[in-house]
Amino acid sequence: MDESNTGMVLGIIKEFANVGAGNAATALASLLDMELVNEVTSCNIMPLSRIGEWLGGNDKVVAGTYTQLCGDLRSGVLVVFPKESAVTIVEHLAGEDTDLVDLTPIQLSALCEVGNICLCWYLVAVSRMIDTDLIPAPPGAAVDLLGAVLDIPLAALGASVDSVIAVHTVFKGIERSFEGYFLLLPEDLMLKTILEKVGDTLI
Amino acid sequence: MSMVKLVGIADVAVVRAPEQLCCIGLGSCVAVFIYDPETRIGGVLHALLPRAPDGKRSDAKYADSGTRMLHRMVISKGANKRKLWAKLVGGARMFANLDIQIRDIGGENVRQAKKTLRELGVRIVAEDVEGNRGRSAYYSLEDGTITLKTAFSTDKEI
Repeated sequence: MDESNTGMVLGIIKEFANVGAGNAATALASLLDMELVNEVTSCNIMPLSRIGEWLGGNDKVVAGTYTQLCGDLRSGVLVVFPKESAVTIVEHLAGEDTDLVDLTPIQLSALCEVGNICLCWYLVAVSRMIDTDLIPAPPGAAVDLLGAVLDIPLAALGASVDSVIAVHTVFKGIERSFEGYFLLLPEDLMLKTILEKVGDTLI
Repeated sequence: MSMVKLVGIADVAVVRAPEQLCCIGLGSCVAVFIYDPETRIGGVLHALLPRAPDGKRSDAKYADSGTRMLHRMVISKGANKRKLWAKLVGGARMFANLDIQIRDIGGENVRQAKKTLRELGVRIVAEDVEGNRGRSAYYSLEDGTITLKTAFSTDKEI
């Protein structure tokens, strides 16, 4: 990708990131029964191999929810909550002190669902932007070392995905705030579709 | 304490004591450690997938070609081929409920690494593989001990 292209792509990403984060904040506010405002603090497009570093290091404990899109536009989609944010979410939902490495099945399931809702609402933003239905497979969730969580997307798509679209969002409530990362791992055809559809509307 | 060299995905490294090697956040990836206790030369492979698609001879991304590559590198650094042993770490199934388009890559990685080591005639003296937890492995070349850290349990050594 040349430089002018990268600039345009980043503009597009910001556009959908803001819509996606807004969607996700609305959905989470309803699920968590709290008022939330969102702020997209950074958007990036980077090689798959640099994601671990960007998210704070492969030895960090995180909560990840991962799925892949069905159909022609194959892509991986990963939502990551850093440890403190995952704890905040679970404590808010469960109403009790929580240790992320000792979650009950119900707590883990709740965390997975929060990740899933985020993931789907970001996808809705992408889907509307490129005017194409995107259907995610049922997601899987894991709480573990970031490096380990990233292994599956790398193994499943590493051969066909070069660049990752990465969005960092802060969700601010009155009493509690948390942050999350939305990562889209598009195969070539997906990336091309995004560029073409949105490129047309920009001109 | 001596320098610890980080070995990332699809990478292989060979050093001798007192240097140390580590792999951080092994999920479905498999780490193959080979060591010669006499010369205290050893190395590690951090492989992502089980088999190289076209039987490529040297690609550290794959458990089969990568293990052969590691074996060659350890010997060419001066290790005694007949004294070598191996340890395996990793190969977890990270997302138990997610199986669409994704096979049990972790398990396949481990099976392939074992098969290749058997073909090379290197015995496996210890392993901490599969399950559903990620691991970090710190490898001391002083005596070939591997210290394992996870997010969930206390450290252990193999």
